[in-house]
Amino acid sequence: MKPQNMIKEKDGKRYFFRFTLNQRLQHITMASCVIVLILTGMPLKFKQAFWAPYLYNLFGGIHVAPIVHKVAGTTLLLLFAYHLGYVFVTIFKNHIIPLRQKGQLTVGNLIKTLINLPIMPNIKDLEDIRDLLKYLLFISDKPPEGAQFTWKEKFDYWAPFWGIVIIGSSGLIMWNKELITRFLPGEVINFALIAHSDEALLAMLFLFIWHFYNVHFSLSVFPMGTVFLTGYLSEEQMAEEHYQQYREVMTAAGLQDQMLPPHGTRPQKGDREAIPAPVEDSVPDFSGEAKVTDN
Amino acid sequence: MPLKQMLKFIGFRFAGLLLLTLLLPLNLGAADIGNCLLCHKYPGLSRVDENGNFRLFYVNEDIFHQSVHLKVKCEGCHTDVQKIPHDPVKKVDCFIQCHIIEPSSEQKFSHKDVQSFLESSVHAKIDKNGSLKKFSEDMPTCLDCHDNPLYRPLSFFKTVRAGISETATGRCRVCHKKDEFIYRFYNHVTTRLHKIRNPRNVAEVCARCHDNPEIVQRHDLGTRAGYSYGETFHGKAAYYLSERVPDCLDCHVNQGQSVHQMLSAENPNSITHKNNKDLICSNLDCHPKATPGMANYRVHPEFNLDKSPAKYYFTVFFLVLAGGTLLPLMGIMGLDLIRRLFPHAALKRRKKR
Repeated sequence: MKPQNMIKEKDGKRYFFRFTLNQRLQHITMASCVIVLILTGMPLKFKQAFWAPYLYNLFGGIHVAPIVHKVAGTTLLLLFAYHLGYVFVTIFKNHIIPLRQKGQLTVGNLIKTLINLPIMPNIKDLEDIRDLLKYLLFISDKPPEGAQFTWKEKFDYWAPFWGIVIIGSSGLIMWNKELITRFLPGEVINFALIAHSDEALLAMLFLFIWHFYNVHFSLSVFPMGTVFLTGYLSEEQMAEEHYQQYREVMTAAGLQDQMLPPHGTRPQKGDREAIPAPVEDSVPDFSGEAKVTDN
Repeated sequence: MPLKQMLKFIGFRFAGLLLLTLLLPLNLGAADIGNCLLCHKYPGLSRVDENGNFRLFYVNEDIFHQSVHLKVKCEGCHTDVQKIPHDPVKKVDCFIQCHIIEPSSEQKFSHKDVQSFLESSVHAKIDKNGSLKKFSEDMPTCLDCHDNPLYRPLSFFKTVRAGISETATGRCRVCHKKDEFIYRFYNHVTTRLHKIRNPRNVAEVCARCHDNPEIVQRHDLGTRAGYSYGETFHGKAAYYLSERVPDCLDCHVNQGQSVHQMLSAENPNSITHKNNKDLICSNLDCHPKATPGMANYRVHPEFNLDKSPAKYYFTVFFLVLAGGTLLPLMGIMGLDLIRRLFPHAALKRRKKR
């Protein structure tokens, strides 16, 4: 997407493109599956907790809840397979074909391209973590200037990626125990249960504490982030979380003189005069004709 | 309530009841020795025994009549009760001959065969040589596992459900005229077609001894069986009252034998012996497609470095992974919340542009 097309204006406020409809649907499907899996899985892990029988009975108890769990798990694994295909096609279309057209399609170039994908962890992430810690510990007043994907978002992407591989494969082993134990010893089921259960607990805590804090409960987004629904991020959040990309997009769109100052900076003379007030209703409606800036 | 007061309170009530009994016409108690409910129908009939244990002697007649012993009179088991009021009664001996006639042999019924089963089982008090086993006092007797179980009739008409099928009893009435007989026979047969206890209940009974750390240690059992069973899917499903999952007895008793004939896993004739284990999982009602490989699944896993180091370290890996991931991230969250209160404070300020 061209930088100028990444900005949409609605009611005098700018919104920055983040996720396509396809990506948002993938995320919502995944989130729904994960929530159902947690609700039907945790009552088994913590069977003696006071809430466990109530929650389990809500999903039909021992005769129905395991089926619900398997349906949600299968859906998530199918989504994972779709996502792998989606990633492959995207890389093929956006990187491999152009490289081939330029006659530069070599293994080295391909690896270089993959390493440089915006979602891949890199040195800047380590620098950003260092800068964030310095900022959080009051050593500096300069928070890291996030790129398209911050280290937190990469963590949010790669942790569930690993989680689905571990939890999904161990779940399949336990589900198909007769088949698996034709080739592997029965003890593999014990290991699968440990991995499935403990990794699921980690995933749940990671998502409900860390991910939810960053995208919903942090003071800058509370009570709810809306980018997962709209695909667009408000200018204030964009400046706070992705200042590097914000600067690139605004500069490419010729709006550098209207840029917000970096997060944590006291408003000073010379900054943009009218810093927008906090958005009361932060759910932009893009169903109608949105005005695209043509500066 | 302090023990002394409680004893006094219970003593008065008990004495009151006895007095009431004595005041009744003498021939009622003496002649009708079977009329035990005269006293035992009172829910408060109780006392604290010589060992300081609270004993409740109340018998709920309605519940008793739904139990498998409904045709057995009190004195059929409590044989030492000869008069009312009676002296403290002895423990019931389940192996006595009672007055019920066993229909197939037309002999008086007895549980005596169970005694011989038990004597050759893993729970026997004596060993092969006839000498008392070490810690034989730990071995269970009838009442350690059994209470007076209730019938659990099933209806098989169209669907399988709990209860009595009136459609079926209608057929019975063609030949059998007494409803009392029909219902008792129906209850007996359909209760015996499945388990009288659900898997959770069975596991809880076994766990009374098998989760007792002292017994586990004394007999070198290697696992707290009830607890470790509860950590598997079978145990968790049993906890949620599934009756489709195996309980202790389904795996530890040879097919076609009584639970009283349970053998040690070291006995080559036992289903739990390493050479026979694969027959447990591949039971027709469980995993008929199971191969011997599946029997290597550890049904009693323990988080124990000595007994299963691989599983121990595998679990530790996930614990460390969880702690190592979540704690730093939660630290960052906490710092972030504090930082947002003082957005402009810093030891070093960036240069003004």
